[in-house]
Amino acid sequence: MAHVANLLSPTDLQKISNLQVVARLVVEGFFSGLHKSPHKGFSVEFAQHRQYVQGDEIRRLDWKLFGKTDRYYIREYEEETNLRATILLDQSGSMNYGNENGVTKHHYASRLAACLSYLMMQQRDSVGLVTFDTEIRRFIPQRSGVGHLRVMLDELDQSKPAGETELSDVFRTLVPRIQRRGLLIIISDCFASVKDLIKALAHFRAAKHEIVLFQIMDRDELEFPFESWTRFESLEQADWHRMVEPAQFREAYLENLEKFQKELIDGCRRHRIDHVRLITDQPYAEALAQYLTRRLGRA
Amino acid sequence: MTFLNFALLGGVAAASIPLIIHLLHRSRFRVVKWGATHLMDVALIKNSRRIRIEQLLLLLLRCLIPAILAFCMARPVLSQLAALAGSSKTSMVLLLDNSYSMESGGKDTGNFVQARTTASEIITSLGRGSDVEVILMAGENPDLESVPNFDLSRLGKAVSELDAGYGRADVAGSFEKAAAMLGKMQNTYRQIVVVGDFQKISWSDEEAPNRARAAELLKAMPLPPQVTFVHQGVEGHDNVSVESLDFSRLIVGVRQPIQVRANLRNFGERTYSELRVYFRVDGTEKGASQINLGPGERQQVLFTHAFETAGSHVIEIVADADTLKADNSFQAAIPVWDTVPVLLFNGAPSVEPLKGETDFLEIALQPFGKSKSDLTDLITTKVIDNENGLKIEDLPKYRTVVLANVRQLSDRWVKALKEFVNNGGGLLIFPGDRIDTTWYNRVLANDNGMLPLPLASLNTPATAKKTTKIISQNYSHPAMEMFNDPRNGNLSDGEISSWFKLAERKEEQTVNVLARFETGEPFLVEKKLGEGRIILSAIPCDVDWSNLPVRSFYLPLTQRLVVYLASTIFPPRNFEVGKPAAVFLEKSAIGKKAMMVDPAGQKHDVPVIDKGTRGLAEFRGTQRPGQYLLTAPDGKVTHFVASTSREESDLLQLTAAERVKVAEPFEAKVITSFKEFQELDRSRRFGSELWRPLMWLVLAMLFSELLLQQWVVRRRR
Repeated sequence: MAHVANLLSPTDLQKISNLQVVARLVVEGFFSGLHKSPHKGFSVEFAQHRQYVQGDEIRRLDWKLFGKTDRYYIREYEEETNLRATILLDQSGSMNYGNENGVTKHHYASRLAACLSYLMMQQRDSVGLVTFDTEIRRFIPQRSGVGHLRVMLDELDQSKPAGETELSDVFRTLVPRIQRRGLLIIISDCFASVKDLIKALAHFRAAKHEIVLFQIMDRDELEFPFESWTRFESLEQADWHRMVEPAQFREAYLENLEKFQKELIDGCRRHRIDHVRLITDQPYAEALAQYLTRRLGRA
Repeated sequence: MTFLNFALLGGVAAASIPLIIHLLHRSRFRVVKWGATHLMDVALIKNSRRIRIEQLLLLLLRCLIPAILAFCMARPVLSQLAALAGSSKTSMVLLLDNSYSMESGGKDTGNFVQARTTASEIITSLGRGSDVEVILMAGENPDLESVPNFDLSRLGKAVSELDAGYGRADVAGSFEKAAAMLGKMQNTYRQIVVVGDFQKISWSDEEAPNRARAAELLKAMPLPPQVTFVHQGVEGHDNVSVESLDFSRLIVGVRQPIQVRANLRNFGERTYSELRVYFRVDGTEKGASQINLGPGERQQVLFTHAFETAGSHVIEIVADADTLKADNSFQAAIPVWDTVPVLLFNGAPSVEPLKGETDFLEIALQPFGKSKSDLTDLITTKVIDNENGLKIEDLPKYRTVVLANVRQLSDRWVKALKEFVNNGGGLLIFPGDRIDTTWYNRVLANDNGMLPLPLASLNTPATAKKTTKIISQNYSHPAMEMFNDPRNGNLSDGEISSWFKLAERKEEQTVNVLARFETGEPFLVEKKLGEGRIILSAIPCDVDWSNLPVRSFYLPLTQRLVVYLASTIFPPRNFEVGKPAAVFLEKSAIGKKAMMVDPAGQKHDVPVIDKGTRGLAEFRGTQRPGQYLLTAPDGKVTHFVASTSREESDLLQLTAAERVKVAEPFEAKVITSFKEFQELDRSRRFGSELWRPLMWLVLAMLFSELLLQQWVVRRRR
């Protein structure tokens, strides 16, 4: 049965202010259509008992229970996580763009981060969060547990986009701080120098990190649908503005965009970075599906 | 530039509409907070220049379209020639009819006043840098020649001060002159304007081939001119003209009566009853007559006068009938001589009366003296029998020398006679039974060229077997033309038994045959030698070979011949306009200056040039009809009269339809006023108006705008 969250677009979900509710709606909605996964095994945390069957390891028998009941039971523990993920969320000014009817890229990105965190927490993975613009704003180290999720969701809820995008410098400073190798989920519009960005990402790759790059774009940025005279004002630089008749250079803009995208995708492919482009009117479930498909593909 | 709908010119302001729309659009912009600035900047830098040019072009086109449309609707017409650079300058030849018919309606209020005003307006209306030549169709005026052809205001003023009074307008000749002038003029837009009364006589059908030839000449020019006929003035219906004067004498002597016959004609439709005709001598009225002259009628009026003093006199016949004064009078200059001295060389003298060779001739030349009458003879004769009878130095005192049956002359005499003729004297040679034909043919004919024709043989009754007579014919020679009137005697009355056959040569061009015998052989032949003339008769002047001396015509014939030969010493005093006025003066006057006063009262210096034994004063500026007065350095006065043909007196003009017809060969437009000329000139120069090419321009711009717009849109996609 389809979960109600699957039918909700990001615009609809925007109305739900509690991030946790959103994350749960999305994640659970996403999994409701899938088979339940028996991610169970060794763990430090006990989960349940089951009857011994032939072939089970003898060492996993619960001898205390055998003593009480004289039956062979095997102890099952919560599976111990082996994934350490860090979500890098771009909070630069350009992420604050959103068309009149939709959500801003930042809004979409923070909800996406929340969903991913929730999902990973559910899977007992440890998740960290880094928010940044020209510099790192907040660094939340990787941990697991419900309390940690709360901390992360609060941070995501309170974050406000501002400042210019400076991915390469930020990433370079982050490399030594994330010592244990793991998964880096970068959520950004990547509106910076592609060459510098790829160079910085290459540093992460050198540190053996897996990288998934979610590039968040608004449909306006892809299609440039403006018609009448427009004054474009920069979201990052206060003194930048251009008065233009957009129709006249739509063609040139789209050419530039295509070139930019091609450079970015080529760079990612070269360094085996997963690049996922998301448009702010796409459901979050699609983003999660993209993420999991790639995770399984790598596994 | 002028506009026919000036108010609509305000529509040019519509040019601002696209600009306003553009500015309004810009002012109602939306603001977008944008992230992908780096993508936009690159696009802007790359395209802004091209876009700006495209936009400017479009804006310009959109602004111009309504502006030019409004301009079109205002119907612009370029009236100031200077407004269109390169084509504003005109080279114009203006043909102005200044014949005396233009004075119809009065000298100060008539047709010519109207014509010269229009001509002046046309000239001064031309644009700066134009040049104009004025051709006066009936006669040039030196006043105009001194004005530069590019100084239009001065030229216009000079034209407005002209007067008419000249002879017949030469239409075809004027056009040919105009073509030659246009070829030398500097501007590419060329015009010929004819201003006149389009009188029938000047624009007659007989002249049509000449006009057609002139029209072809104009069309064949590299830059053919536009031709305009400007008809001016109204047709006159009352006009009496004194057409001509006839005199009874070639030379008039003191106290010799001269008959002056004036021929009058009424060209109008009105009857002139009791029209008074006056006869004036040197400005003083000497007689008057009264006649009745019906419409279209001709009449003669006769006046007789005897001059009291020798010298130059002017007679005038005046019929004061109508406002066109030019043809109401006719003048003539008459030289009055005291006497004409004639030397008669008698080759066969006789003591018996009327037996001598020159006896009849002497009586015929001075009839009054011989008859003891109170009347005086003009001619005085001196008879000599041989060369000793006269000192050869005295020969120039005579006007005519007659050789009658002179056997031969000494070389000294031949030489003196030749010089005498060369200087304007007359020589009349009569042969006879005594002459040495061999000497005549050798010395006079061959050696000195003094014999018009050689004497070939003698026709006697024995050889000819019958007598002959002088042929009665229509004589054109001035010495003979009086015999065209039978009242002066019939030359064929005489009978000739013997005569010299003169060796006529066809190639001889300088010899003029005055009269012939019935046999076809020449009777009187003339030859010009230097300034003088020689006449040779085929028969003697006595009754030996003919009965001419006893016929009534003998007296006028011999007098005419002698006076004619004597008068060649004077160049004509009455001539057609344009012919030179000349007078021989004393040798002492050579190098000095005589003074000529023309009919307009202007004085001209005339240098006296060397002409052998005499000086000659010659004046060629006789374009204006009327009386010319030449005062020699010694104060002696000579009158000349330049007269015009009286064809102009017929004031009938071409009808409007006829004017259009004569305009056809020239592809000319016929108009009647300066205002019409301005309109015509405007329409010729610029087409009817400017709106048509402008409308094409608007259409072209609309298409351009559409194409440019589509091209821009296609690039955006």
